[in-house]
Amino acid sequence: MHNLGTVIRFEIGRTLKKKSFWLAALAIPVVAVFVGVIIFFSNKTTDEQSQNLAKEQFTIGITDESHLISPKLLESVHARPIATPQEGEQAVKSGQLDAYFHYPKDISKDTVSVRGKNVGLFKNGRYEDLAGQLLKQSVSAKTNPGVATVLQGSTKFNSLTYTSDGQVDKGFLNVIAPGVFLVLFYFMIATFGSQILTSITEEKENRVIEMILATIKPTTLLVGKLFSVISLAFIQMFVILIPTIVGYLFFKDQLALPNLDLSTLPLDPTAIGLGAVIFMVSFLLFTGILMTLGAAMPTAKEAGGFMGGVFALLFGPLYAAPLFVTSPDSTIVQFLSYFPLTAPIPLLLRNAVGNLPLHEALIAIGILLLTTLIVISIGVRIFKFGALEYSRKLSMKEVMGRKS
Amino acid sequence: MNKAVPLVTIDHFRMDFGKKTVIKDLSFTINKGETFGLLGSNGSGKTTTIRALLGIYMATGGQLRIDGKPYEVDGSVKLGYLPEERGLYKKEKVIDIMIYFGQLKGMARAHAKEWSLDFLKRVDLENEAQTRLDKLSGGMQQKIQVGIAVMGDPTLLILDEPAKGFDPVNRRLLMDIIEEHQDQGATVIFVTHQMEEVERLCDRILLLKDGESRLYGTVDEVKDEFGGMVLEIVSESPVPKNDKLYSYQRREGNVTLLEPKADLLAIQRSLLSAGVAYSRFELKRPSLDDIFVEIYGKHAKEEN
Repeated sequence: MHNLGTVIRFEIGRTLKKKSFWLAALAIPVVAVFVGVIIFFSNKTTDEQSQNLAKEQFTIGITDESHLISPKLLESVHARPIATPQEGEQAVKSGQLDAYFHYPKDISKDTVSVRGKNVGLFKNGRYEDLAGQLLKQSVSAKTNPGVATVLQGSTKFNSLTYTSDGQVDKGFLNVIAPGVFLVLFYFMIATFGSQILTSITEEKENRVIEMILATIKPTTLLVGKLFSVISLAFIQMFVILIPTIVGYLFFKDQLALPNLDLSTLPLDPTAIGLGAVIFMVSFLLFTGILMTLGAAMPTAKEAGGFMGGVFALLFGPLYAAPLFVTSPDSTIVQFLSYFPLTAPIPLLLRNAVGNLPLHEALIAIGILLLTTLIVISIGVRIFKFGALEYSRKLSMKEVMGRKS
Repeated sequence: MNKAVPLVTIDHFRMDFGKKTVIKDLSFTINKGETFGLLGSNGSGKTTTIRALLGIYMATGGQLRIDGKPYEVDGSVKLGYLPEERGLYKKEKVIDIMIYFGQLKGMARAHAKEWSLDFLKRVDLENEAQTRLDKLSGGMQQKIQVGIAVMGDPTLLILDEPAKGFDPVNRRLLMDIIEEHQDQGATVIFVTHQMEEVERLCDRILLLKDGESRLYGTVDEVKDEFGGMVLEIVSESPVPKNDKLYSYQRREGNVTLLEPKADLLAIQRSLLSAGVAYSRFELKRPSLDDIFVEIYGKHAKEEN
């Protein structure tokens, strides 16, 4: 692989110099920051409004035919009793009262009437909230604390399930570490698919291929390009992740983000290892397929037309995602897991949820590896013979028919 | 320089594209240090031969060797190649492209940069080193491509239509650059239709027609093989045909070329009696241009 380093440095260097690369890489964290700022100010405004609402005093009249409302509570909100609903409604209409609540004799059958002065679409809800709170707190005060907790829906649960070896199962947390590879795979292919095609067809489109092929081996050029694209994908991922992590660490409270305690995250080395291997082989296979597609087509634009088919095979199994979790032994799941063009998503997903046995994983990885080798060798052959086909697609018969 | 040592050996080369045979059975050698002209009309198989020699095409039959072996990019021969179909990385800066190719040819980065800047200065492009290639004119891009072809002191320089797209001033500059590499002992393969330049630069030539060697040897040998002397007559009125005295080759403008069969005096007398007043009547060896036109026909010359 003479000159491989030169090719990789050139490919990475010139991409990093492009504004479009940085714009694409920084767009995601910039959008995330923008959304975060909006959430932050929205939360801040909502909090301020809630506090203002709490402080706000308004005059209330109440007719309590149910006798459920605590007089002490009525006193605390300065509510005055009103004889009839008509009188209360009239008082609100005339502006003598801000709000009036009528609790009927049997609230299980009749509705509680809430009348209030219009204070705007978002603030008008305060009347019904207060009417409900008065009822809930009054009833709770009359029962024991346990019943009150159930009534208020604030019962706390502590659930544990145990695995066959008596260990505590960590539930959804188990999925996170191996599941990262699924997300990573999706991101890498979706982001870099078209870049692989452009990179492979560039020399043909620019007519520089003949000079290049007289200087370096086609395998060196292709492998160099593959390494460059993979390296650039990781660089772009870090460009996205670093500001995201920094943003989370410094602004998680302001953005009301959940507290992620990574120390409790289960790390199963086998699942993580398998996830990493499946991810790498799958990524290599699909970059190889895209590379072969680019080598066979005269332009990236024409190759792009076929990329949809590749993506359909690759991401199509996502529609059967529930099956991968609930019926891992079904024929369709087994087929999708072993067929190399559909295998990455089922394998990564099943590995994440913990229903991919080691022997199945190893067989599937073997099939993926073998397919990758075949695809890349066909890609190199197509690139070699199709290099000077500037305006014509190569047929498989032509490629395989030529002697090397 | 030892002209007897072959560097390029092409032995019974055959090339088919599908059912079409482009090269039938071609054999020739190019010696170390010589400048070799590969000539032919469009579609005669010149570029195919070069591509097969460099392994870009796989030959259907025969053997094509450089220094005794099929060409390897990392082999012993330092190659400089200017293909007919040209292009470079359009969105990159001139200097970055030149450094990249320099490094691919084994030059250290600093050396490649220094060499590139010197070359750009020589071809009046020193101010364009940091310019993106697609911002340059076609002629300027051609100069950069020539620079890339000759960088790294190639021992074998293959130039496929090097003067294509150059104005006369830059063509002169290009020829100077080629001559410098000749002087340094490089073997030069020159694929061209510019016969004046072939006559001036090439030690030996090969004329390809329909995938076969038509004429092969030194320029003088080819002229001899083609058929000796021609009679050039410059006259306002056309020269009448006369199969007994001469065979009529062609007339371009007011120049008529004849192949004499009889005594020149007899021909002169016949012209005077036919009322042809000529301003020149000269027996000379045919130029390569004459041979080219004769072999490929006037249309091929015009096409080229």
